[in-house]
Amino acid sequence: MKEQWRLLHTENNPAYRNMAIDWAVLKANSKGKAPPTVRFYTWRPSAISIGYFQSLKEEIDLEMCKKYGVDYVRRITGGGAVYHEHELTYSIVIPEDHPQISKNIMESYGRICGAIIKGLDHLGIESRYVPINDIVVNGKKISGNAQTRKSRTVLQHGTVLNDVDVDKMFSLLRVSDEKIKDKLIADVKQRVTSIKHILGKEIDFVKVAAAMKVGFEEEFNIELEKGNLTEQELEDSKTFEKEYFSSREWNHKK
Amino acid sequence: MKSKSVYKVPNGKLLKIFLDYNEKNNLINDISVTGDFFAYPEEAIEIIEEKLRSTKLDKKILLERISSIINDGDIEFIGLNAEGLTQGILMCLK
Repeated sequence: MKEQWRLLHTENNPAYRNMAIDWAVLKANSKGKAPPTVRFYTWRPSAISIGYFQSLKEEIDLEMCKKYGVDYVRRITGGGAVYHEHELTYSIVIPEDHPQISKNIMESYGRICGAIIKGLDHLGIESRYVPINDIVVNGKKISGNAQTRKSRTVLQHGTVLNDVDVDKMFSLLRVSDEKIKDKLIADVKQRVTSIKHILGKEIDFVKVAAAMKVGFEEEFNIELEKGNLTEQELEDSKTFEKEYFSSREWNHKK
Repeated sequence: MKSKSVYKVPNGKLLKIFLDYNEKNNLINDISVTGDFFAYPEEAIEIIEEKLRSTKLDKKILLERISSIINDGDIEFIGLNAEGLTQGILMCLK
């Protein structure tokens, strides 16, 4: 019998809650209170997440975020700034010593990205993993990924772009050199793609999530069983949301 | 003196350093290491920032100091390394 992992669907949450849930699931799994878990989620309102080590003011135009009603949050994972609007976001939480997870961080990136690649394949999209943390289709990025390891537990989360508005993204993000902003936008338009762009039509969240579910099941030879957050996870996520992700101290720490 | 550098680590990520240093003796007063790299554990960067205070802005000294902090703390970088971090810091020198 195949190993069963938990599947969570949590759509349309604010940025603070999304990041808090990932951490709460990590905490539960590290204490043996939750099985390996795959979560698919979306963001409402749309939001920018920045990597743990990034400078908030350096990366984000806070005035423009306010103007457009876009949230911002610092992740517990490293990596770069991401504008979350038309996408499926996934997270996976699994013990570091699980036989399916390599001790080697780069290898485990590749393995988890393998699930997304298989999922995209089920949507008719051929993609490949490009280290350090991207998945590309014909050389263009469709997915970015970030991993942390805490309390001997792996959390990796990442995006699968359903559609992308590069102009809006750059109105919210700061660039190091304003003089080259136009060129940068043109470059990014050449280097980023989406499911909609490739297939020529929109695929709704449920269908993308169904494809990704099969991708994870195939990659890890497991069954994903739909479940819910436990009471403790809900409580922890509220605590993390309040004390970290919605706090000025956390988001402005760099 | 306050200074900033932006440095693309070869085969790595974009490093942005904010540095406050004493221009008379070139010692670091305060440093903030930011960017889209990965570090395991994440707290490693705060440790490095703390331990680099009062370190001289000299290539050999910085590289040795950073390498030893990385070894002692069993720190793993992805998209960054001791050489890249040293280079980024030195680029803050006016």
